[in-house]
Amino acid sequence: MNAVTDKVDPVFFNFALDYLQRYFSVSPGQAETMMSYCKMRHFDKRMVIVDEGDMEDHLNMVVTGLARKFARRGKSEITLQLATEGHIVHSEISFLRRVPSPVVVETIEPTTLISITYKGAMEVLDLMPGADKIARLLVTGMYIKKEERQYKQLHLTTRERFLEYMKNHPHMLQRVPQKYLASYLNIKPETFSRLKHLVKMQ
Amino acid sequence: MLTGFQEWLGRYAVLTSTELDLLSEMQEVRTFDKRVRLTDIGEIEQYLSLVVNGLVQKYFLRGKEQVIKDIVNEGKVVSSSVSFFTKQPSDYIVETIEPTTVVSISRENLEKLFQLGDRWERIGRLMMTDFLIEKEYWLLDSIRLSPRERFLRFFKEQPDLVQRVPQKYLASYLAIKPETFSRLKHLAAG
Repeated sequence: MNAVTDKVDPVFFNFALDYLQRYFSVSPGQAETMMSYCKMRHFDKRMVIVDEGDMEDHLNMVVTGLARKFARRGKSEITLQLATEGHIVHSEISFLRRVPSPVVVETIEPTTLISITYKGAMEVLDLMPGADKIARLLVTGMYIKKEERQYKQLHLTTRERFLEYMKNHPHMLQRVPQKYLASYLNIKPETFSRLKHLVKMQ
Repeated sequence: MLTGFQEWLGRYAVLTSTELDLLSEMQEVRTFDKRVRLTDIGEIEQYLSLVVNGLVQKYFLRGKEQVIKDIVNEGKVVSSSVSFFTKQPSDYIVETIEPTTVVSISRENLEKLFQLGDRWERIGRLMMTDFLIEKEYWLLDSIRLSPRERFLRFFKEQPDLVQRVPQKYLASYLAIKPETFSRLKHLAAG
């Protein structure tokens, strides 16, 4: 079941803000304006947030829970992103270019998002001084993350990718079904099972 | 042919003559012979460079193998971009394939532009959005298209590059085994 809360809980908003402030500063006035344009959306586990072909109307930050973004290739699903607390997740191409989404975003766990609509984001950009800078730095951060992930995918061996990810995200083995993790790390499921023993031994 | 960042950034806003003058002061023309490195692994990338004439590749090394991430021709921007935006040492080599002329803008000058206020911040935001979208489409294509589809798409969209770029570079860029690439090339030619 889904629910929307129009007024954002300040505790959650401050949590979101703390994440953003790692990358750039937001003044108290800007924070208040941004919060007034945001809403909270609650999703049960295994709910589709955006489907392939949908128009993405939201930019979201996960405040609790876990979502994944994937692309379909034939009957298989290629996991592109696993988003936990503090991560931005949405269908970027659809949101920014106003075209049908080429990807699916769905929850793995019950998830709460802080969301701003496309229209809301455009209004903030037009009305709030300094909004373009915040958006530029946000997009730059998203771009860097994508580039770095691609570099790791190409540069590290299967074993290195596995060990590096498990070291930096030790809890994900419990939270994420193994087939999604294997897909995200571009590791064959049978190889992934074998590599899992490396973590258990430690 | 693009004249420089005036035209490239001019896609995002109609620039005034003062702004155009500012850009032409801030950018520098750099000329390189073929097979010259603009940026090396471990260096901090200082520039976004618009290729005016020539051909540039961006790659990293896996052992001794060159893994090519980008092949950039006229009208497009090349940079070890993560290094440029984060000021961290580059994981990539940026190197000319042909003798090349680029127009470059330094990080320092780009930051000066952003400090001029919201108008330049907006241009910067739209530029970064294009980088992000292009990256995302590239990732999706690499996942959803088969080697054959990647080859055919590239052959159709960039036929000139098929002539200009050494085959082994193209095979690496498209993540196609060299022997598969040769076979596909015969098919396309036939």
